[in-house]
Amino acid sequence: MGKAETTLEIPLEISDVSGQKVFSVANAPTGNTVGELVHEMLGKMNLPRNDASGAPLTYQARLEREGRHLHASERIGDALERGDKLTLQPNIDAGQGCC
Amino acid sequence: MTLTFPYRFALVICGEEGNNLGTVVAKRDWEPAHEWTRFFHQRKGELALGGDGSASVLPLWEHTLGEPYCRGYRIQIVQPGRRPVASDFPITHFRDFAGAVASVFVGQKKLREGETYTYMVVAHPAQAEASAAGGLSVTNVSPGLPVQDASLDDFLRRGQPSGVIDADDMPVFVHRQVLDEAAALTRAHEGIEVGGILIGKLWRDVDANEIFVEITAQIAAEYTLGTNVKLTFTAQTWAAADAALRLRNKGEVPVGYHHAHPVKTWCKGKECTPEKQKNCHLAKDFFSADDEAVMRAAFPRAYSIAIVANDTAFADLTFSMFGNQEGLTQPRGFYVLEEKTSGA
Repeated sequence: MGKAETTLEIPLEISDVSGQKVFSVANAPTGNTVGELVHEMLGKMNLPRNDASGAPLTYQARLEREGRHLHASERIGDALERGDKLTLQPNIDAGQGCC
Repeated sequence: MTLTFPYRFALVICGEEGNNLGTVVAKRDWEPAHEWTRFFHQRKGELALGGDGSASVLPLWEHTLGEPYCRGYRIQIVQPGRRPVASDFPITHFRDFAGAVASVFVGQKKLREGETYTYMVVAHPAQAEASAAGGLSVTNVSPGLPVQDASLDDFLRRGQPSGVIDADDMPVFVHRQVLDEAAALTRAHEGIEVGGILIGKLWRDVDANEIFVEITAQIAAEYTLGTNVKLTFTAQTWAAADAALRLRNKGEVPVGYHHAHPVKTWCKGKECTPEKQKNCHLAKDFFSADDEAVMRAAFPRAYSIAIVANDTAFADLTFSMFGNQEGLTQPRGFYVLEEKTSGA
């Protein structure tokens, strides 16, 4: 399991917060950014892209191997290794409706 | 797990006199109904715990008018070697979308402000969509339901009902200490929305054909941003909760979240009279669209539940529970277990 800089695509495993939705990705392009990966996976995993008001939700990808959240601008080939596990974690508001 | 759509649904909006104001392709989040269908049939032993099958959304034709008019929709799951399972949902599932379309029509002067409108749902066969070239190649490798075997009767003997228990709902058992900790957290931060992650176990009683949840503990949410009207769960919140869950190492899984509604602070800000506060719809069993969005994004499985601590000026702290009921988030009852959680 080495860095994937010399390959064009690497396999990854991506889950949601609950850990009950898990998808394996066979061909994550090493030239793409983490943000691009997250954006595409939200659709594949049927996770909401917007909050209740329609504003875009921000998800961060947490890399289990390093125990850190990746920056959206990091390149897959630089930050990730084959078989890495990511968890998509949203910043999201619970809140009051309206009096 | 992926839903397929052999039909395309649309809403026909009509004005007060039945005049057709326009037809709009229906947009709705089908996932909660899909999850509910899957879990309902897993509870009844009709769908494998680990198998998702192939699910599709089908129209239910209106009895009198027939195709293309719908009286609702059906989610059908086809599984290898077993008969398909299905759940039917009413046309009212489109009501919120119809309301949103009506608002747009008001803006476009197709509908007058306050004018009554009706809507019909129609469905037509969908054109086969060409699969997009390139893109990620993904496979759903989600784990099966993490159930262990137990006796439902044994839990029912020990549980004290709270709220209205619907016999069709998945039974939920909450240890008293979870509620006590949620109450302590709420009181310690009076006037501010605080919360935590609910963790527990899924049990299956094969004889009773039922799956139920035991909430064994709560993990106070860290790295949140709380005000009197909202609670922001950050990516760091989920990471910290996951770390705490792993440290406990008791075979528990995340089953939902709890948070406080500081109703008395809201009412104070609005200068509501005591009488008005007692009748306020926010005082009990209130779950906002934002609250639902947290469930959808973080706890999408149909067994997931949410607890709200209602902190009002006129009564002791009360708790409301919410869960997926036939594809919609609804208030529901639960059972309280007085004994200490074993976590075993």
